[in-house]
Amino acid sequence: MSGFEEVNYYFRKAARVMDLSTAVERMLVTPYREVKVDVSITMDNGELGTFIGYRVQHDRSRGPMKGGLRYHPTVDLDEALGLASLMTWKTAVVNLPFGGAKGGIAVDPNTLSPGELERLTRKFVQQIHEIIGPQTDIPAPDVNTNAQVMAWIMDEYSKMHGFSPAVVTGKPVDLFGSRGREEATGRGAVFALEEYLKDAGQGEVRGKTFAIQGFGNVGSWAARFLHERGGKVIAVSDVKGGVHNPEGLDIPRLIAHQKDQNTVTGFPGSDPISNDDLLLLPVDVLVPAALGGVITDANVKDLRAKLILEAANAPTTPQADEALVKRGVTVLPDIYVNAGGVTVSYFEWAQNIQQFTWEEDKVNAELQRHMRDAYATLARVVRERKVSLRTAAFIVAIGRVGRATVLRGV
Amino acid sequence: MTPSEASKVIRGVLCRGLSYEQTEQILKAMVPVKAETGLIVFKEGERPQGLMVLLEGTVEVFKQASGKKGRDEVLATIEAPTVLGEISLLTEGPHTASIRAKTACEFSLLTTTQFHRLLREESLAAYKVIAILAEVLARRLHRMDEKFVEVSRKSASAPVEELTAFKQKLFTDWSF
Repeated sequence: MSGFEEVNYYFRKAARVMDLSTAVERMLVTPYREVKVDVSITMDNGELGTFIGYRVQHDRSRGPMKGGLRYHPTVDLDEALGLASLMTWKTAVVNLPFGGAKGGIAVDPNTLSPGELERLTRKFVQQIHEIIGPQTDIPAPDVNTNAQVMAWIMDEYSKMHGFSPAVVTGKPVDLFGSRGREEATGRGAVFALEEYLKDAGQGEVRGKTFAIQGFGNVGSWAARFLHERGGKVIAVSDVKGGVHNPEGLDIPRLIAHQKDQNTVTGFPGSDPISNDDLLLLPVDVLVPAALGGVITDANVKDLRAKLILEAANAPTTPQADEALVKRGVTVLPDIYVNAGGVTVSYFEWAQNIQQFTWEEDKVNAELQRHMRDAYATLARVVRERKVSLRTAAFIVAIGRVGRATVLRGV
Repeated sequence: MTPSEASKVIRGVLCRGLSYEQTEQILKAMVPVKAETGLIVFKEGERPQGLMVLLEGTVEVFKQASGKKGRDEVLATIEAPTVLGEISLLTEGPHTASIRAKTACEFSLLTTTQFHRLLREESLAAYKVIAILAEVLARRLHRMDEKFVEVSRKSASAPVEELTAFKQKLFTDWSF
């Protein structure tokens, strides 16, 4: 399944529960606008480099559209459309006043010099500046784009439209970025877990065991927050492999080791473990925090975790998801769990619009409030409609987007 | 089917109310036709041969698919005894649909030429046949009226009602 098909699979499942007609379904799935642009720059060696840039804007009924920009060779309209629609539903689940968008450039940034990367980014902004903006569409970092890229976007856009820090989020804290933005997705995932544990009468993070696949921005922050709360993180991994200690890993020291070595592997006092085996550990909570499609038909029957916290986007294939639901394994769905990132992006945008800076405590408290409120709504839908958390999230999102669309008039 | 059995069927469908002589006049003008299963008896758009009385078997009335990949749209399946090609006989226009033998079929054909010859001779028998055909057409028109009302109701109001109901439900059933 392509990204778009996968998102639509869950969308349709919720649509069936809601008894949506085909016409309404088609209206909600169809994107508002798809843009494909030429991004040509002079390379360092004097040659001409031509790349293709994309921006898909899925829905703007609830507010300006929001979504990441990724620099990756696989970027195309189909992928961007799937992820753009996911952003529509995700912002609706946590009730942010945003719609969904996604885009990027089909390029491998590892082949570019810093100068080429900057020229490429600025050229892309020149090509799409008419369709983005603080009240239209607000990009954010995604795969292979970071705070520096966002700073260039803000600068280039501001040249054409005047001072506009709110045109992108995920900017450096020194350039209108928000405190707490970097750790927001990991922190939000832990808040999501805490809400579930409280609701399910399963106590707190303290004493529970965790395995985390992925030790990038999301995984490492999630590990740190779980560790701080007394959780026992017994295994983590990155692209080079994983480390395992049944007694629990010392996360602050592991983060230092990873910064130093650029990998978690070889951490003293741990045994190596493969990415595949990590998924099968008998832990209380499994946290896929890296790639999509890691829990599949092939390994789902061997999974021994009681709970899955989807910090990554789409880590579970639809077939594996069905199997888990049947087995009674709870899946806290990506659309809710990793919404902390876009939520703090919303706070960054709000601070930029207000020209008023929030303390980190306020950012975190507001994030927790959004995650808590969203969970309370999902839990109600699960109880009243006897559906999974994922279907509940889509039902809530479709309801909110649908009402906004109807109230505006169709 | 023997010729006498065939005349009996023709009498039933086409010659009700005709005297013995008048019936004989019509029967004499007709020729027998056979069709194997699957054979196209006449094609949409072709010049009509005349009026067919289906004596035995079953036929399908269909509209041909427009593209190569499209499927034929079957309008009706008709069993003997009945008359076919009555519209083309009266309008002299091309056939408005095609007919395919669904089973082995036997027909009796009253050619357009023969029919018009009888009309020119002011044959009362031919005019009586027209009256019978008018009755057949009236019945079919009536059925079509009913069908039309049903289809137009379905296509216009159902999705509108559905959409209105869904809009309402967004605020009642799906607001949490």
